[in-house]
Amino acid sequence: MGIIPQLILNSIIAGAIYSLVAIGFSLIYGATKFFNLAHGVMAAIGGYSVFYFAKTLGWDLWLAVSIGMLLAGLIGYGLDKIIYKPLRKRKASNMVLLVASLGAFTALQAIIAILFTSQFQTISGNIGAQNIYEIFGGVITQTQLIILISAITIMAGLALLLKYTMFGKAIKAISDDEEVSKIVGINTDKIIGYVFFIGSVIAGLAGILVGFDTGIKPTMGLSLLLKGVIASIVGGIGNIYGGVLGAFLLGFVENFGIWKISGEWKDAIAFGLLIVFLIFRPRGIINN
Amino acid sequence: MTILETKKLEKHFDGVQAVDNLSIGIEKGEIAGIVGPNGSGKTTLINLLSGTLEIDAGAVIINGVQKFENINPWQISFYGITRTFQDVRLFEQMTVLDNILVVLTERNVFSSLFEKHKEYHLKKAEEVLQKVGLWKKKNQLAINLSYGQRKLLEIARTLAMDAEIYLFDEPFAGLFPEMVKIVSDVVKELKREGKTIILIEHNMELIRKLCDYLFVMDEGKLLAEGKPEKVLAKKEVIEAYLGK
Ligand SMILES: Nc1ncnc2c1ncn2[C@@H]1O[C@H](COP(=O)(O)OP(=O)(O)O)[C@@H](O)[C@H]1O
Ligand SMILES: [Mg+2]
Repeated sequence: MGIIPQLILNSIIAGAIYSLVAIGFSLIYGATKFFNLAHGVMAAIGGYSVFYFAKTLGWDLWLAVSIGMLLAGLIGYGLDKIIYKPLRKRKASNMVLLVASLGAFTALQAIIAILFTSQFQTISGNIGAQNIYEIFGGVITQTQLIILISAITIMAGLALLLKYTMFGKAIKAISDDEEVSKIVGINTDKIIGYVFFIGSVIAGLAGILVGFDTGIKPTMGLSLLLKGVIASIVGGIGNIYGGVLGAFLLGFVENFGIWKISGEWKDAIAFGLLIVFLIFRPRGIINN
Repeated sequence: MTILETKKLEKHFDGVQAVDNLSIGIEKGEIAGIVGPNGSGKTTLINLLSGTLEIDAGAVIINGVQKFENINPWQISFYGITRTFQDVRLFEQMTVLDNILVVLTERNVFSSLFEKHKEYHLKKAEEVLQKVGLWKKKNQLAINLSYGQRKLLEIARTLAMDAEIYLFDEPFAGLFPEMVKIVSDVVKELKREGKTIILIEHNMELIRKLCDYLFVMDEGKLLAEGKPEKVLAKKEVIEAYLGK
């Protein structure tokens, strides 16, 4: 097992997880132009749903995963309907929306902590002993392989959806000019609702995958959110392809950054990357 | 038949009364011109009619039955209204073709959102882009078009919407003669099809040639209305234009 191949593999796996968070975050930002901080908690909702339905109630794992994603999607959709949409209607500023989303984040995270305690939990218990594979001299677990495959599938599916459907064009139009989108008859509130649903489902999946890989705690959403936000900004905010690029760049910089130093530095390195971009390329890798 | 009516319409910005107690009626199938000095409230009127701005007071009546104190911008297409903007607004990061395709959506059905474009959507898009001479540019990003082409694309977008009422805010401004011809042909064809057009324009020759009826605005108020030749001969209209 070589150190470099292992670092590369770790970077790719981290990049895949961050992409899943960044995609939804970017999609929502593109359509609404505000930083939806509550996006992070969708990951925790996904992770804890699987914990509850599969581990506590002993339901089928795939069913629990599906419920977790659906629940995250519905809660994301609900936040838009109940909080953000009325605020948009009143022409609230993006700062007001950001603060509202921070409130939603905190509240949902607190509810999770009340229901499940703040303790770290694992959910991988019932998938049994993990198979381990060797690729190019590096080691990857079965869970990590699933992470990679899910991330690639989701990214490809979303890319196709955006490129070829009416829905994709409508999202692009709204990101471009929401007012004109309305004038030409696009029901922007409805489309934005779907965007929240889809973005939150993907964030829920990210939380589930992280849960399988390392475990869950109520605050898991925050660190995932920060990575997703950094990836989005580094890649070019509002552009999901930029978000994916940023996510993988972040994964690589983080994992190679801690090659010779303690893993505790990971977050500092991530913020370092953010600061470098904010200073030298504030509009990200893909800046149109 | 009066297809579009305003009743004591009001809009002010801080101290400025942009539209002031304005009551006008537009006849179906006619081209109604709106003229007036800069800042007289023409654009504001169109913004109110299209839901782009909220109405302070008064109402808009469509087809003599639907009365609005406020219109939701995404609903105006359901009432058959479409518009252009004085400062041309396109979906900049989308191609010329996508700028048209995106308005050709069945807007109410959930499943249609996830559908791909069909042959007839492409046909319609080709038809309207051919009309304004932009079909060859269909794969260019809107942001890379010239000023005149941008105006033409915006007009093509209104054509794709198959509306009943077209609100055009200075569609000829800054265009080369051959483009002016394209736009005036589009306007004439719409009229032949029985559509209603509201046309904001400064060029009096075009107004005389195209318009059936003319409204003159000044400081948000209606200064005069009637047949173009008659209205343009009025003393107060000439004064408003040449400065008092
Ligand atoms: N969004 C706005 N905010 C503040 N003032 C505005 C706004 N839009 C228009 N106005 C003011 O309203 C008046 C009418 O403007 P406008 O309708 O653009 O006139 P016109 O189109 O006839 O040139 C002007 O005094 C203008 O400065
Ligand atoms: Mg104007």
